[in-house]
Amino acid sequence: MKYFVLLLLWLLPAYGFAQQLHIDGHVFDEDQVPLAGADVSFGDQRVRTDAAGNFFLPLSGPGRFELTFSKAGFRTQRRSVAVGQTSVQVRVRLLALNRQLKDVKILGTRDAQFREQPMNLRSVDAGFITRNLGGSLMKTLERLPGVKTIGIGSGQSKPLIRGLGFNRVVVVEKGVKHEGQQWGADHGLEIDQFAAGRVDIVKGAASFLYGSDAIGGVVRIEPPAAPTVNGVSGEVTGIAKGNNNLIGGSVQTAVKGDKWFADGRFSYQDYGDYKVPASQVNVYNYPVDLYRNRLRNTAGEERGLHLNAGYMDSTFRSTFFISNVWSKSGFFANAHGLEPRRVDATLHDARSGDILMPSQQVNHFKILNRSSWQTGKQLFEAELGFQRNFRQEHSMYVNHGYMPPAYPADMTISPALERQFDKYVYSFNLRNTLAFEHHSLTVGLNTENQRNSISGWSFLVPAFRQFSAGLFAVDNYRLSSKLLLQTAIRYDHVNFRSFAYRDWFSTPLAAGGQENLTRAEAFGRNFSSLTWSAGLNYSPMPFFARFNIGKSFRVPIAKELAANGVNYHYFSYERGNPELAPEQSYQADAGIGWKDDAWDITLSPYLNYFSNYIYLNPTPFHDYDYGAGNQIFAYTQSRVLRYGLELELSRKLGGGRSVELLGEYLYARQLSGDKKGFTLPFSPPPSVLFSATQAFRSGRWLQNAFVSADYRLTAAQNNIVPPERKTPSSGVADLRAGATLLAGRQPVNLNLQIRNLLNTKYFVHTSFYRLIDLPEMGRDIVLSISMPFGHHQKKNN
Amino acid sequence: MKKTTKLLIPLACLILAGCSKDETPVDTTYPVIDLAYQGASPQQCGTFTRGQKISFKARFSDNVALGSYSIDVHHNFDHHSHSTEVNDCALEPKKTAVKPYLLIRNFPIEGSPASYEAVTEFDIPADADPGDYHFLVRLTDREGWQTLKGISIKIK
Repeated sequence: MKYFVLLLLWLLPAYGFAQQLHIDGHVFDEDQVPLAGADVSFGDQRVRTDAAGNFFLPLSGPGRFELTFSKAGFRTQRRSVAVGQTSVQVRVRLLALNRQLKDVKILGTRDAQFREQPMNLRSVDAGFITRNLGGSLMKTLERLPGVKTIGIGSGQSKPLIRGLGFNRVVVVEKGVKHEGQQWGADHGLEIDQFAAGRVDIVKGAASFLYGSDAIGGVVRIEPPAAPTVNGVSGEVTGIAKGNNNLIGGSVQTAVKGDKWFADGRFSYQDYGDYKVPASQVNVYNYPVDLYRNRLRNTAGEERGLHLNAGYMDSTFRSTFFISNVWSKSGFFANAHGLEPRRVDATLHDARSGDILMPSQQVNHFKILNRSSWQTGKQLFEAELGFQRNFRQEHSMYVNHGYMPPAYPADMTISPALERQFDKYVYSFNLRNTLAFEHHSLTVGLNTENQRNSISGWSFLVPAFRQFSAGLFAVDNYRLSSKLLLQTAIRYDHVNFRSFAYRDWFSTPLAAGGQENLTRAEAFGRNFSSLTWSAGLNYSPMPFFARFNIGKSFRVPIAKELAANGVNYHYFSYERGNPELAPEQSYQADAGIGWKDDAWDITLSPYLNYFSNYIYLNPTPFHDYDYGAGNQIFAYTQSRVLRYGLELELSRKLGGGRSVELLGEYLYARQLSGDKKGFTLPFSPPPSVLFSATQAFRSGRWLQNAFVSADYRLTAAQNNIVPPERKTPSSGVADLRAGATLLAGRQPVNLNLQIRNLLNTKYFVHTSFYRLIDLPEMGRDIVLSISMPFGHHQKKNN
Repeated sequence: MKKTTKLLIPLACLILAGCSKDETPVDTTYPVIDLAYQGASPQQCGTFTRGQKISFKARFSDNVALGSYSIDVHHNFDHHSHSTEVNDCALEPKKTAVKPYLLIRNFPIEGSPASYEAVTEFDIPADADPGDYHFLVRLTDREGWQTLKGISIKIK
């Protein structure tokens, strides 16, 4: 019945349309996000696009019309439209002015558009990234309410959106799903934050667009927009950090002709061990002395190379992206494996900048093509990509459990290679958007093929192959100029196959005898799922409201299905369950807000129910054979209820002053299973961020100057689940300042941050090192300088 | 309709705030390993002899119910450090293991008592490498909280 009504609503407007000669159309950005409030004009006639990005321009007769499309924060576009006896429809894509650092507001003007979406979407631009630059892209985004990270050390972190992370958050880079975060909590995303032009964050489920895994949220990373002016342009950026002696930089240069462009970037970062406000830390009750407050062996190095080239004309655009991101970083030597063997304090403390063992090395190579073609009322878009994720964990052999005391000479695997994952991923996406009078209908296909192989002297997850395909349809229906209805339906199928693994050493069995244990049997699973979503957006500005309900799913990953080994980070024996069913989640998500010249308020509550959340459950048992005497952590499923809300409030006070308050609250509870009544792991405690900014009037040589202070108050987290620890409350202050200096005609952008201003010793509940009582980074002074050059800069200013 | 019901239950729950009322506080307390009483064994820097026995005697307690424990004895000829005790017992020089003594045993604690005294002993083979060893005790409670205790011992 419900579907029938939706179908009816969807079909209705096709009939009720009066035939008057007109031009109508749709204005959107690079991501197909409709742009509301864009001006469409010819001569002195002017209309505005509505919440769905649509406009309607009545005409008195046929002719040729020079239309201008403009909107703050976007490049103005002109288009000549010839109208004969019949009405004409146009689709216009506006490009964001990404490289400008014009206003000191926390979020760009583009953010206003997202308030007019049924989904909870936030967007930050390169300016936000520069002002809040953290150790990694995800750390930079942590200022946004509802966004946290699971971090390890100073340079590695993964996104945690509303308390869900790992494979419950999809990271999409340049339109293709980034496949590299399934392996463990102890490595971050292979993303070069200098190369991010814009980051969009969907808080809440978006499975209908991105398939399995998008059950908690989506982080969409877009490259900077292609240059718009012919000629050579570019930018040089330098960065330095005081805490871990980081030195880095990025050079970008682009060249553009009439219909083609090419763009290249090289980034480099090198950093030493980071400092904490403590001279001694406790690793599982074992006191570890720190030399000069430095966390032994947490230094790292990163390199990123990006080459893009594309062709663009008015209807067709195709861009090739090639990138390679490489990083190497050390693990805190006293904590690796909890059996911190081979900690040579003299060697590790001799230099703070070197990377010794244990360490990880990651290489992420990607080659993609992204194309779009507009023909009549139809827009075709496609992404074709290949990525290789190659990750190695280096640690000299130590015999865990029943491994022989000396590494056998006939082993082909290096004794320094603890674990290796090598994954090849092929992706293909196709979308077709059809524009009707009041509708915009998108149908699409996502396919992905993954091949993962493993190596190393230790074992956790077997090699696997996975093929997935999803078909979806999304309809945006404009019920009135203020009311938008979005409905979506999607079907996915996933085929998973894992390979057998047998120990290279023998284990004395509890029942007697010796055996090289088979840790993983070869097996296959097929999963399929139907998901849906419906959302409403009502935006009689300055008030706006949105509501979204839907069902999402997630296919269990190799680790959850087939893990069978000891994770010496936690002294846990992790056991997968090949019988796991796909996770099903139902969510309701709302947002109400007000935005005028002085106030900007958004309140976003959400409610989420999982009928079978997959959870690594620490049992009271130990395992002798496979677990070498360690505690059994078994993957199980339980019913889970989660709810929470985020509040964003900002007020302009005049005279360049503004204040801001960002708050978040999250509650999670398991409703069934062994841990009934407990929360979920990595649940962030409530927090509030207070911020005050003073912007200064631009002068002849100093522009866009600002000073801003943040104070984040985080409550204690006493709602924990094994093996977590209670985390005390904390208050941390940050200072930021920035300006653009004009040296003649050359602008120089300067940004200064003092993170953890008071060198406060505090803990973050979601940090990987939380379990071993490691405090967060101490005071850190971050300075970044960037200088744009070339033609496009003149145009921007 | 089944899906709708599934969604409505937590919704109603939330609105009526009925869920948080009957919340029984969950157990967030780690179990305790006590080796600090008269007769407890092994003690930090304790010495044992090849061909004889290591005795293990410890008191376990938890605020609710104990789960199981596991004993792991392995060599420390490479001077790795995960003793939970501060004193490092004047380690002998580093050496390569030839036939180190290795013991891994796990024991359920029957009946989930709140306190328990573990008393057992293990044979040390007469041909095991002498030197520095770690004696590691892992204790869980019924909820899955685990406490570790690492003791440095010597085998002569």
